[in-house]
Amino acid sequence: MGRLLVRQILFLLGIAFLPAIGQAIYYRNTASWHAPPADSAPVSVAEVKKWGETILWIDARAEAEFEKAHVPGAIRLNEDDWDTLLPGVLAAWSEDRKVVVYCSRLTCNLSHEVAERLRNEVALKNVYVLQGGWEEWEKSGR
Amino acid sequence: MGEERPMSDVSDQSGRFNWRRLLGRLLAAIVGIVFVYAGVLKIWDPLHFASDINNYQMVPWSVGIRMAFYLPWLEVLCGCALIFHRLFAGAVAITTFLMVIFIGATAWARMQGIDVSCGCFGSASSNLSLTWHLILDGGLLLALVYVWFTRERVA
Repeated sequence: MGRLLVRQILFLLGIAFLPAIGQAIYYRNTASWHAPPADSAPVSVAEVKKWGETILWIDARAEAEFEKAHVPGAIRLNEDDWDTLLPGVLAAWSEDRKVVVYCSRLTCNLSHEVAERLRNEVALKNVYVLQGGWEEWEKSGR
Repeated sequence: MGEERPMSDVSDQSGRFNWRRLLGRLLAAIVGIVFVYAGVLKIWDPLHFASDINNYQMVPWSVGIRMAFYLPWLEVLCGCALIFHRLFAGAVAITTFLMVIFIGATAWARMQGIDVSCGCFGSASSNLSLTWHLILDGGLLLALVYVWFTRERVA
């Protein structure tokens, strides 16, 4: 039984490589193999402040947190209320505006997910994630 | 390599109908369907899955993206093996190992304060809370343990 089990495991592990390699070849020019795609790398507060006033801020946190405080001019957008909130974002967006998404803090993931959907599903360009999120923005003295 | 009994055989060695074995088969099929579903969603969008792996901050991007291309196919293969009862013991062992890793990684990320979506079902799982993910993963793991102990053993 032990040898049979090992053989089965090795067979399954091995056979899975074949389609995976085929798919990787298909994606060879579109996937970033050594580092995350450049535009998904978070940007710092200092860097964003250099961009001036044309930034479209997207707040990916929960509504209660947004109501307490948010970056001036920020618009709410999160995955739970995506369909409801997206039209407001699109109405405010224009091609010359960089989009910066933030959530609560460095370790939150909501901003990454919203940014990714904006890039992939809405095909927006220049979408960035704020490093450190709202926590970092507050520390910077706004 | 497919030395298990035929799929229709849910009787024990004395020829009596074995309910535990039947339940094991049903659970294996359900877990298999879940794995196939989860794998296909991730195969559909491997770059999204790579991003999900990267969010766990456990492996470098260069490793994570390769895992993102490999793991979904392994899930689909093992899921099919569970559904069709071929290479069964191997598939149960691999899926159990994967579930332990998924749950462990999610718990680890949580302990580190990393707010992740687990990525278990690709972009379709974005709206599922972490608690629900853990409940689902825990349920699958329990089902696999049951399947392991009720499977037919080859003498």
